[in-house]
Amino acid sequence: MTVAVHEELDATFMALADPTRRAIVARLARGDATVNELAAPFNMTLPGISKHLKVLERSGLISRSRHAQFRPCHLEPAALDAAIGWIETNRRVWTERFDKLDAHLRDIQGTTTAPSKEAADHD
Amino acid sequence: MTSHRAAPAELNLTRIFEAPRELVFRCMITPEHLTHFWGPAGTSAPLEHIRVDPRPGGVFETVMVNDADGSTYPTRAVYAEVTAPERLVWTEVHSGMTMAATFVDLGDARTEVRIRQTNVPEAMLSPDAQAGFRTSLDKFAAYLRSLS
Repeated sequence: MTVAVHEELDATFMALADPTRRAIVARLARGDATVNELAAPFNMTLPGISKHLKVLERSGLISRSRHAQFRPCHLEPAALDAAIGWIETNRRVWTERFDKLDAHLRDIQGTTTAPSKEAADHD
Repeated sequence: MTSHRAAPAELNLTRIFEAPRELVFRCMITPEHLTHFWGPAGTSAPLEHIRVDPRPGGVFETVMVNDADGSTYPTRAVYAEVTAPERLVWTEVHSGMTMAATFVDLGDARTEVRIRQTNVPEAMLSPDAQAGFRTSLDKFAAYLRSLS
């Protein structure tokens, strides 16, 4: 684990915090696109869209060919996976915790056959 | 990590419980209740390590113990807001991560709990950290299913 890894992930979340950039990522998930193709649906100027693309590129979420004439943008799924990973891990922790709370609430309200000892003692 | 710079990632989660709001709220701030559910699958939260002082500035400390190898995950937090039985906000001391729990009375002894987790530190975003946690949970998911 390196500082660089943390900074990359931080940059990924910064990039995804903006709705326009999230929409660009969603568009690129369907396939590569040029700056012109990306700018059209957002009613944005080319410099405006370029600013967003630079942020996305720095975050590692997208890459652009250095050589091709129209420099199509390409989504880098690994960077997106890492960002989604944190949210999914925490969602899972809370879901499992709430599964247990649900069972516990049933126990202490006497809606199951085996109420837990500690809970009965507590109330 | 010396920096706790937050990334703008957040988690929102909602769950409905078949219990009155006062009871659900009490479960979230009472060690004897927390010990039953605070540790996610594959872990437990021993009663003797839970400290709760439910008032702004009060501590909220838990230790999750991995059922498999006994490794421990202590978490120290401080309450920022305690409004019984409606809302709890606490911030983890080491990470700066903030959790807000809102309790909504749906009537008919049903309660909706909304969790909002914000201010995620960079360190939490490490794929290594996530992978380790996931592996330990996966390993014992089947065992835990057999208990329920």
